[in-house]
Formats: sequence, structure tokens, C-alpha cells
Amino acid sequence: MRPLPRLKSLQARLLALLLSLMTVVWLGAAAYTWLDARHELDELLDGHLAQAAALLVVQQANAGHDDDDPVADAPTLHKYAPKVAFQVFHEGQLIMRSANAALAPMSSQTSGFSTVTLNHEPWRVFATRGGERDVQVFVAEQSETRDDILMAVLNGVLMPLLLTLPVLALLLWWAVRHGLSPLRHLSQVLGQRQPKALQPVVLNDLPSEIEPLVQALNALFERIDAMMALERRFTADAAHELRTPIAAIRAQAQVALGAGLDTAQRDHALQFTLAGCDRATRLVEQLLTLARLEAATSHSASTGASATDLSALTRRVAADLAPAALLRQQVLSLDAPSACPVNGDETLLSVLVRNLIDNALRYSPVGATVQINVSGEPEQTLLQVQDSGPGLTPAERARLGERFYRVLGTERSGSGLGWSIIQRIAGVSGAQVAVARSEALGGLNVTVRWPLIH
Amino acid sequence: MRILLAEDDMMLGDGLRAGLRQLGFQVDWVRDGLAAERELMTGDYTAAVLDLGLPMKDGLDVLQALRARKNTTPLLVLTARDAVPDRIRGLDLGADDYVVKPVDLHELGARLRSLVRRSHGQAHAALQSGGVLLDPAARQVSLNGETVALSTREFDLLHALMLSAGRVMSREQLEQQLYSWGYEVDSNAIEVHIHHLRRKLNADVIQTVRGVGYTMPRTHPP
Repeated sequence: MRPLPRLKSLQARLLALLLSLMTVVWLGAAAYTWLDARHELDELLDGHLAQAAALLVVQQANAGHDDDDPVADAPTLHKYAPKVAFQVFHEGQLIMRSANAALAPMSSQTSGFSTVTLNHEPWRVFATRGGERDVQVFVAEQSETRDDILMAVLNGVLMPLLLTLPVLALLLWWAVRHGLSPLRHLSQVLGQRQPKALQPVVLNDLPSEIEPLVQALNALFERIDAMMALERRFTADAAHELRTPIAAIRAQAQVALGAGLDTAQRDHALQFTLAGCDRATRLVEQLLTLARLEAATSHSASTGASATDLSALTRRVAADLAPAALLRQQVLSLDAPSACPVNGDETLLSVLVRNLIDNALRYSPVGATVQINVSGEPEQTLLQVQDSGPGLTPAERARLGERFYRVLGTERSGSGLGWSIIQRIAGVSGAQVAVARSEALGGLNVTVRWPLIH
Repeated sequence: MRILLAEDDMMLGDGLRAGLRQLGFQVDWVRDGLAAERELMTGDYTAAVLDLGLPMKDGLDVLQALRARKNTTPLLVLTARDAVPDRIRGLDLGADDYVVKPVDLHELGARLRSLVRRSHGQAHAALQSGGVLLDPAARQVSLNGETVALSTREFDLLHALMLSAGRVMSREQLEQQLYSWGYEVDSNAIEVHIHHLRRKLNADVIQTVRGVGYTMPRTHPP
């Protein structure tokens, strides 16, 4: 039989438990049998002793006495006879005895049962007197005889049990093994699985004890599968998004190479090559940011976020982005109070604010206005970024934040990752992001709300 | 050869258009799926380069719609979707070739020439008709073994006629094959080019079918 390491201990435990319990029960039964048999045997043999004594008394009474007779020795008639002895006294005189009986009275007791030691062996003695009080009878039997009988009885009971024990153990082993076969089957099914196989385990006739285990296992498979699908999708999406800028860079570089004397075409192609490199760089940076955020999520949740001044942070980020905005004649303005603390890690929050303002500038045309407001309200802190750009339709707004989702028809190149990053950080710092149409500027209005720090 | 390029990415589309033009293709560029479908249904394109992730209508849907309407334009799918199931699906839906980005421009050109050649039932890279031998890859033409210098338009015109050797091409068909968008075509431009070709090659290489168009005899290459 092939060893099954995973099941072996359970099977061995069950087997050992069953066998030892059964042995205990058997031993108990044997002990009871022993005690009961000894009791019955004692009563029976004592009865015989008493009856034999009574016979001797009666015979003595009927025989009449010849005082001249020497002591009569009874013949030994049976092989067990040496184990039985008797003495008959008349008026203090030993008148009859068995061959193995001594001359002295066997027991000091003159009536009833007693156990005495004769010739270094225990004897059971019954003593009685005749009706005329002049006859004293002792009948004795070796105690060893009783023990022999008792052992024979006990052997008769125990031997079959001892012989059947191995057979029973074998049967039990088979029964336990058979009972545990669903577990073994499950382990075989799991053992044969490919590492990537994550479909649920389906087994027929599952015992109710194993069903929760299989259900838990299937739930785990499902979670792992979902997680892996997410990872696969991200990898596929990332590869997809990286291929297009690289293809563009390659095509433009080849155009530049093949331009020959057409310097205008060559310069155009080279500029696009550089722009393509910048785009790929930005995409890679954002991918890395997003990847780091996955780690940051659990980290900040465990350490607890600190308070950051949103006003100062937004001012810094806006100052960073202002030169690029000015190049495109865009108007960037900030309205923020002196201090406005919010929950959240400063580095993460500046990534969020940078992405928000960068998005507004990026997707707004030359000469557009981007207005940033930071305000502290009684219950919440608000960061609002509005632009005068083309804005988004409700359907497009709903799809924002899907990884790599890009609004179609935009001239500016984007990775479609900015929104994923914004929403991720907002989630980590307990903020909520709302996207709407800007009533004041006509473009997009993005509002981030933090609950007030208590 | 007039190619329709359907690509939504600005930089890539610009680069592919410029690169394919350098290789001698006439290129029209559309940036969404609906436009691609419309142009391919109405225009006369030798072949098309189709991105799959197109706005308005996915490239695969465009592919399916075209094939469902018996449009047989040779289609080369150029996409970032590199998974094998995607490739299989693209080819099964009717793509003639499936290329994953990024692609070398020269390879793209060669694949397009190969697609066009095969779509015209030509197994050989070089086309032959009478004593004229045309090598699309090298863009060279020879008459009875001697190289003939042709202008770009003359070469394209001869190429179009030789691809459809044995069939009559109308002036409009030839114009559509030769000129991409944004070109003002003179009404007698084709006649002028034909005239030049007859002068540089042989007068009877290109035959005129009065009131219908032009044709070249079909002969199998040696």
C-alpha cells in the first residue's frame, strides 16, 4: 500500500485510539468475568466441602464405633484425591482420615470455613461437629485447585479475544482507511493540480465534515484567481500602453533616418522622437508611482496617517507646475487660507495634488484658466481644481479612474494612469473625489474632500 | 499604392504616415474606427493598416463589419495586443496580417507589398507584363533587362496597372490609387503619366480601351 503522508497520522491516531479503547473495554470485561467466576466457584466448591463434611458426619453417626479400631485410612480413588483431605475425630480421637491428612486437626476453628496453611500450601478447610457434639469433621481442599479452575475459565474467555485482536485491528484499519477515503481523494485531487489551476475543486459525495474545508479552499482559490487576474490585466495593460509610445519613437526615428535631405521632415521627426521619449518616461514614472502606492496602502494604514498642511503643500506644487503653464499661456491661480491641516502622508498628498493640477493643465488648451481653491469648512476640508478646458461628458466622467482609460480625441498625450493614482491616494488618506462640470469656468471641476481632523 | 492608416495615437500615426510615404506609399490617415470603416467602404485603397484600440469603433469590429459586407481590401492589423488569442481572433475575423507594435517601418512596407501582391494573385515579388519587369520593393523598373528611370507617379501608375494586369482600370480608379487626400488632381494627369510611360517603355505596353480605361496584358513571370 502506498504511504499517504498527509493522511497517515490521522489514520494512525484513529486506529490507535480505537484499538486502545477496545482493549480497555475487553480488559474490564475480563476482570469482571474473573471476579464473578471466582465468586461462583468459591460458593460451588464451598458447598461441596460442606456437603462432603455432612456426609462424613452422617456416616460416622450411622456406623457406630468400635473404639479398638485403628485409625481408618480412606483409599485414594481419584487423581485429584491428594488435593482433597478429611479428618474425622470422635471424642477427641482421630478415627478416620484421608491418606494425605495429618494427625493433628487441620484447623483451629471447630466449625465453618477457614483458610489455613498446611505443608506450606494454602488449604480451604470446612469444620463441623456431629449432632451429638462428640464428632468433629474437617474437610479440606487445596486452594491451588480453585486457582487452576479459575485460570482455565479465564483462559477460555480471554484466549479467543486475544486471537481475534489482530483480525479486529486489521478490520479496524480497513474501516478507518475506508472512512477517510474522501480526505485521501481530496488530497490526490489537490496533489495533481497544476500550480496555476485555480478553478474550484468539485468532488461528488463530499462528507459534511470536509465540505467546509473544500468550500474554504474554493473561496481561497477564487480570491487568488481574482488577484492574479488583476495582476495579469495590469501587466497586459501596462505592456500595451508602453508599446504604443515605443512604436511611435521607433517610427519617428526611422522617419528621421530616412528623411535624407528633407531637413524639415527630419527635424519634425526628431522632435516627435524626443516627445515620445518624454511620454514614455512619464508613463513609466506613473506606473512606478502606482506600484509604490500598492505598498504604501498597507503601510500608511498600519502606521496611521499624520497631519499635513494642505495649503502649503498645494502652494508648493502649484509653484512647481506654474512655469510649464506659463509656456502655454495658461493662467494658474490659487486661493488658499494660511493653514489647512488634513490627514495623510505629505509625499502621497503632493503626488495627488500634482496629478490633479497637471491633469487640468494638460487637458486644457493654450490660454486656458485653471483655478485652485483650498478651503476649510466646519466638517470637512476641500481641495477644488477647476479649468476652462473642454470638460467631460457624464459617460466619460464615469469611466475616469479605470486604469489606462483615456478620454478619446484629446490631442495631449496622457497615460490614463493619473486618475488611478489620484483615486488611490484619496482612498488611502480617507478623502473622497468628485468630478463635475465647472459652473464658473465651463471645464472640469474636481473636488477632493477630507473629513476634519478631530 | 494607396494605403489607409487607422491609428488614434498622434505621434505614432504621424510617424507611420511619414515613414510609409518615404517608402513610396500614398497614405491617408484616419484616427477613429468609424472613419476607417467609412473610408474603406467608399474609397479605393490598395491596403489598410488598422490599429485595434480605436476610438468610436474597435478595430476588430471594423474588420468584422468590412468582411461582412464583402470588402476584400487587404488588412494589416498593427496593434499592441500581443496575446496569442488576440492574434488568432484578429486573423480569424479576416485580417490578412497581424503585426505587434513596435514594428520596423521597412518590415511594415514589405508586409504591405506582400499583402497587395497576394491579393492580386501574384506569388512573385516582381511583376512582369510583356518585356516590363517591376520590382515593388526596390522601386525599380526594367524593359527587356535594361533599367528605366521613372518618376514616383509614373512608377505608382505602372505598379497599379501591373498589379491588375489583364483587367481594365478606369481613370478614376487609377486616380484613387495614386493620390492620397489633399492632392488636387489635374483632370488629365493620368493621361499625361500614361503618355510618359509609353514614351519611356514601349508604345504598346499599355493599351487603351476607349471610353473604359487602360490595361496591361497578364503574363506570368519566368
